[in-house]
Amino acid sequence: MNNQNKFSRRQFLQVTGVGVGGICLLANCGNSISIWRFFSNTEAKLMDAIADQIIPPDDWPGGSESGVTNFIDKQLVGPYVRFQQDYRKGLLAIHDSCNDIYNKQFEELDWNEQTAFLEKMEAGKMHGNIWSNGFDKTFFSLCRDHAMQAYYGSSRHGGNRNNKSYQMLELDYPLIIGQNRYKS
Amino acid sequence: MANQKVNAVIVGAGAGGGVVAKELSTNGMSVVLIEQGDWISYDEHTNDELLSQRVTVLGNSCGPDDKHHSRVNIHPDGSKHIVLPSEGDFNNISACVGSGTVTYGALAWRYMREDFKMKSTYGHVSGSTLEDWPITYDDLEPYYEKAEWEIGVAGDDSLNPFAPPRKKLQPMPPFTHNKEATLLKEAASKLGFHPFSIPMLRNSVPYGGRPACYRMRTCIGFPCPVSAKCGTHNTVIPVAIKSGNCELRTNCIVSEIIVNEQGKITGVSYYDQNNKKQTQHADIVILSAAAIETARLLLNSKSKFFPNGIGNENDWVGRNLQGHAYPNAHGLFEDDIFDDFGPGSSVAICDFNHHNPGIIGGGYLSNSFICMPYRFTNVRPPSEKLWGKSHKEFQRKNFKKVAEIHGPYQEIPSFDQRVQVDPVVKDFWGIPAARLSGKTHEEDIKGCTFMAEKASLWLKEAGAIQTWSSLGIANGVSAGQHQAGTCRMGNDPKTSVTDKFGRVHSTPNLFVADGSLHVTNGGFNPALTIMALGFWVGGYIASEWNKGNRFK
Amino acid sequence: MNKKTLLHKSLLVLSVIILFFLIGFGSFYSYWNSAPASKTCASCHEIENSVNILAQSTHRTLTCKECHGTALSNGLHSLNEKSMMVFNHAKNENTEDIRLNEPQMLEVMNNCTRCHKIEQSKWLSGGHSAKYKDIFLNEKHNKTEQLNFDCLRCHGMFADVDIDELVEPLDIKGPWKFKDSAVANNPTIPCLACHQIHNEGSPYKSPEYSNPQDIFYKRKHSVSNVSYYNRHDKTKIMAENLPTLKLWENERQVKVSDDILMRNCIQCHAPNGKHQAGTSDDRTPRGVHEGLSCMACHDVHSNDARQSCIKCHPAISHCKLDVKTMNTSFADPKSPNNIHWVACTNCHKDAKTLKK
Repeated sequence: MNNQNKFSRRQFLQVTGVGVGGICLLANCGNSISIWRFFSNTEAKLMDAIADQIIPPDDWPGGSESGVTNFIDKQLVGPYVRFQQDYRKGLLAIHDSCNDIYNKQFEELDWNEQTAFLEKMEAGKMHGNIWSNGFDKTFFSLCRDHAMQAYYGSSRHGGNRNNKSYQMLELDYPLIIGQNRYKS
Repeated sequence: MANQKVNAVIVGAGAGGGVVAKELSTNGMSVVLIEQGDWISYDEHTNDELLSQRVTVLGNSCGPDDKHHSRVNIHPDGSKHIVLPSEGDFNNISACVGSGTVTYGALAWRYMREDFKMKSTYGHVSGSTLEDWPITYDDLEPYYEKAEWEIGVAGDDSLNPFAPPRKKLQPMPPFTHNKEATLLKEAASKLGFHPFSIPMLRNSVPYGGRPACYRMRTCIGFPCPVSAKCGTHNTVIPVAIKSGNCELRTNCIVSEIIVNEQGKITGVSYYDQNNKKQTQHADIVILSAAAIETARLLLNSKSKFFPNGIGNENDWVGRNLQGHAYPNAHGLFEDDIFDDFGPGSSVAICDFNHHNPGIIGGGYLSNSFICMPYRFTNVRPPSEKLWGKSHKEFQRKNFKKVAEIHGPYQEIPSFDQRVQVDPVVKDFWGIPAARLSGKTHEEDIKGCTFMAEKASLWLKEAGAIQTWSSLGIANGVSAGQHQAGTCRMGNDPKTSVTDKFGRVHSTPNLFVADGSLHVTNGGFNPALTIMALGFWVGGYIASEWNKGNRFK
Repeated sequence: MNKKTLLHKSLLVLSVIILFFLIGFGSFYSYWNSAPASKTCASCHEIENSVNILAQSTHRTLTCKECHGTALSNGLHSLNEKSMMVFNHAKNENTEDIRLNEPQMLEVMNNCTRCHKIEQSKWLSGGHSAKYKDIFLNEKHNKTEQLNFDCLRCHGMFADVDIDELVEPLDIKGPWKFKDSAVANNPTIPCLACHQIHNEGSPYKSPEYSNPQDIFYKRKHSVSNVSYYNRHDKTKIMAENLPTLKLWENERQVKVSDDILMRNCIQCHAPNGKHQAGTSDDRTPRGVHEGLSCMACHDVHSNDARQSCIKCHPAISHCKLDVKTMNTSFADPKSPNNIHWVACTNCHKDAKTLKK
């Protein structure tokens, strides 16, 4: 508490220097093209479609509604920075392969076509250089794991909107436990 | 400014180091306890499954972090992989004051008599370094008792006919079972097994000035919000600090053991919290950094007197790395068996720990801790799809209907399961990283198959309509949080690293006090044994010191 | 000589720079505090979401600074904080998890009470206005309830520090004192513990009279501004997304009201891990009152329940006793019949005669 009220010289320099510089930056922020941190808007749309395939909407939210894309996007500029290239490459590869096979975007395929496409990835049966070295399999499993983390993990990381997955599992969140042994 | 020389410097404030710090400082010796991590604040390390010590996908909540640390893993096919702490292959233990004892499951086992005499019991096993300990259960028994009373254990061994003899009861009554464990307990009795409540380093009643457990959900991989879990951070380390003789230095990374011109060990060098290189001189150096880091530190301490690292004259440092295989079975039940009542793991049987024909060692079996939702997404019978509509339905329908039985299988130690230092990869401070390699011994496969079958049998008796099992054997290196064995204690300096008091054979004043000393790792979680060894080694040093021995 | 001129010159240059800086900064600051949010606060996309939600909320007409104050209203702290955010943003570091610290939160609370005077005075009269010193320095309490991390989940959920940085010693002997005594008079359960401001909702307005008969039916009760501040996650959870209590009286499941507001209450007034009725701090109505919500009797802000009986009961009960003078803890704290779970059989030992 004390520390917060004290204002060191170093902090003052931070305020003045950084603050003024930052104000100039603000103007730029408004112009950024993507509303996401890492994904482009196109990538995010594709990611939403994949997320819904992995965790389909039913009586409970699907992957996209639950914020899977937001979770992955957020982690990609945090602890998952090492997966940035995988996503960039993988999403492009899905886009290109769909174009080659169906002459459509992944999001435009009907539900069963999407499922079949992802099953093919999961089985490592994609064709083309971009998928070589088992990239189809590893990228699918990456998306699958991250989608599950987003949907079933703590909402603080940008997924599991409104803790819906805990409600679905009938798991109290926050936990309801009191510990009053003191009764006045 | 140079640090003032002290009587003892201890590297690592975990299960072993915390205890040694208390033993020495309360005996009047001046101690510096060096810890790579910091004190854990519960507020920053709460109930977040993705950021725990069990599911580390977004990082290790209690350290170490991905920015500063890495290790090298050599797979059985020879391929090399650089691993980060948040990846499973890292074989991480929490890096904080208390280390693993902050986040562990807190199972408080004593090893059985046979666990100290594996070679005498089972004979020579080819392709292994199976050996007897230089000490027996009876040597260690008083120290187990000290650990149980000074740190705090809830349990009642009278219900476990296989428990080794004890002089004094555990200080707290055992934990009661939740719905799942109650069901499994009845089934075990019907099968003729001998179920009992697992001894726990947790307060079942208020103890040691800390409240009782209030039975919540996140008990393994998380710090306890009411401090009812007993670790070294809330027991012996505070006692050590209160003695006025122990200084705890956090966020310090020890890089090397210092050897002077006469070839004598005089202290350690380390990087402080500002990454500035420091030295700490001491009469005695004690390593308690756990099996991987203790070995790495010895191997990284090369000098003209110790060209292959300290204690490594016969190439035994880093050898015999062991963890536990975790053979397991899951059972799907018709009705809800989950009542969200922690800690979760509470019913166990020791019927398969020893003396099962054709099986070397073995291990206990118990129900598992509460499975969190993300972890459950991978709990599926082999035929189930791992994503899509049916996966979500399974999750929804069966989250409260699945139980897991598992147990730590005592691995057969081998010379090739080992820690080395990597010639290329270095950590943030430029210290050569640990490099882990090894292969599974075929006896392990046999033993784990046996245990997994028993686990399935137990679940079926309890009413599971479907069971599926797994051997739980790591592909290659096995260490994990139960890592042990890399500085084996023994009477023969040619085939061990330390003597029976943990003193490195080739030096008068360098000790090891952690799981590295284990000759074999028991079919049990090792924490209480590591604590008991802390009392054993620390007690020895303190009593010798009081007699005037300065370990010169 | 040379040195001196150099010094003079540099002093001059320096003061000109400072002057320009002050003018620049001053004009920027006054612009910032007068321009619309979309041009200022909300141009930072980290808080875009909050601003958007506010636009649909009961408080939509307020500007940011009316609750949050200006960048300088809590000294240089905010300014420093915001500058660091911009700095981190420029470094491409994630800055989106923005939280109010406790002093900022209390300042917001002061701004709440500018308009919500009645609610504030009600809150002050009830148990939820307890200050840090009332809880953490209470000898009787601390001797029974060992202080631990989890206390702050309900008592002091906005504390900027852990329990071990807040109060010492953490034992049952005491004497207890705050490490920083400045917190002593802060409220432990402020407005924002139970309220969400950035949330959907409409301001009260007069009804549409075109079809007067519909007015009653069109009226909607909104609970969107009720939420629980979850210290674990440092986020608010709307009451409707909180779990409903499942409670057992031995093997029997107790009927618990589905009132959304009550979900907030039971987060803290909770039973033990087994969810057995009456354990720990559970006060869920049972007995003759089973199924009632806390709010059936308690006022939301003051928690006062003194006028509650007459809401449902005529002066006399089913058994022809005056409800206000019946032997329950409602009238007498020493009564064995706790009003939260008093049952007919508590007074009428022979239950059979009651059935008549």
